[in-house]
Amino acid sequence: MMDSNTIPKLAPGCRLHPMEEILLVPEGALNLTGPTRDILLRVDGSRSVLAIAEDLCQQYSGANIADIQADILGLLDRMQQRGFIRA
Amino acid sequence: MDRNASQLITRSLIAEVTHRCPLHCLYCSNPLELKLAAEELSTDDWKRTFDQAAALGIVHLHLTGGEPLARKDLPELIRAGRNAGLYVNMITSGLGLNEQRMVELADAGLEHIQLSFQDLDEASANHIAGTRAHAHKLALVPILRKFPWALTINLVVHRMNLDRIEEFISLAEQLGPDRLEIAHVQYYGWALKNRSLLMPTLEQVQRSLPIIEAARRRLEGKIQLEAVLPDYFSNFPKACMGGWGRQVILVDPTGQALPCHAAAVIPGMNFDNVLDQELSWIWNNSEAFTRFRGDAWMPSTCLSCERKERDFGGCRCQALLLTGNAEAIDPVCSLSPDHNLLIDLRQPSNDPLPIWRS
Repeated sequence: MMDSNTIPKLAPGCRLHPMEEILLVPEGALNLTGPTRDILLRVDGSRSVLAIAEDLCQQYSGANIADIQADILGLLDRMQQRGFIRA
Repeated sequence: MDRNASQLITRSLIAEVTHRCPLHCLYCSNPLELKLAAEELSTDDWKRTFDQAAALGIVHLHLTGGEPLARKDLPELIRAGRNAGLYVNMITSGLGLNEQRMVELADAGLEHIQLSFQDLDEASANHIAGTRAHAHKLALVPILRKFPWALTINLVVHRMNLDRIEEFISLAEQLGPDRLEIAHVQYYGWALKNRSLLMPTLEQVQRSLPIIEAARRRLEGKIQLEAVLPDYFSNFPKACMGGWGRQVILVDPTGQALPCHAAAVIPGMNFDNVLDQELSWIWNNSEAFTRFRGDAWMPSTCLSCERKERDFGGCRCQALLLTGNAEAIDPVCSLSPDHNLLIDLRQPSNDPLPIWRS
């Protein structure tokens, strides 16, 4: 399981489409909803989950960092199960 | 459903850049008549086609063949795909690949490589491939892993190797790919000639299912396992290619655009060529892409069936190959009057001989 200190990265062969709201993966594309694209834009193999949450907290003013971090961890765990995220 | 393509966004271009191939697999999906090297599209023709594909909304480019490595301009084709904004995948036998060539492909922007294995042990794998390829493929994998692309290993399964699926999965696991695909042979093209040799028995298929499911769970989060059941063992047809003219365009080595690998077997089909027509016109208006798009062609059983939005009437090529009529209900469907053909085909005949391409 990932936690605040985990530094996630996209799995090989996965990248955000430059214009469309999709993540390109081998043999497919995932539709991205809500803040998913904003989260994945910050998944760069150098930032921790906490750093990503802090960064997003500034973008979504008024949001609670604990809630944001929980959302990020939930999303990244699901994507890791499907092979699109590595920790 | 509408025959008009305005609501449909095609997402994948399958580019058969050559039919040349060092392998002679018993289950080859290419047509019986292969296109010659002299007829192949030029680099510039492919570049223009990739640009037109991206403009149509296509996001994935699958470079396949034959063996794409047989094209000397392969790095240029990859670069052209990336410049057009496409995600570039290559399906390869690995023959003709070495570390220097990998550097060139990676620099060009290749994002995903699919390498297929024919069996576990060398003698059997080489027998099925009609070439000594197995040891080379095994040696390639650790080198392929040094590069940033995604690696998929494809295990092609059939009657001759399905009983060894557990060991076959273990071999793939040791090789450490990102993805593992277990693909049953599909009986089109050359593979149809060897159907009675390759068709697994129902017992084999049933024994394999819990093994594959256990592996899928065990590998979750490490190796993504995709497995597709052969439709000959189903009671409802597959949504072949995601539906005729709904998701995929295939361009063959000479530039003919087809809705699928096998469509040329259907009598009276005319395929427009990217040398003569824009890809968007071919997608939206050509006879080949509109012929079985929507439901106007469907027999009344399919028209009134609630599954028609899921399977889009199944596979037209299979309907033709098994019943002689491309408009017939796909015989995989239990509602087809010809469904008993499938029941007969599931009984393999005794000791048929393998047939390789000469």
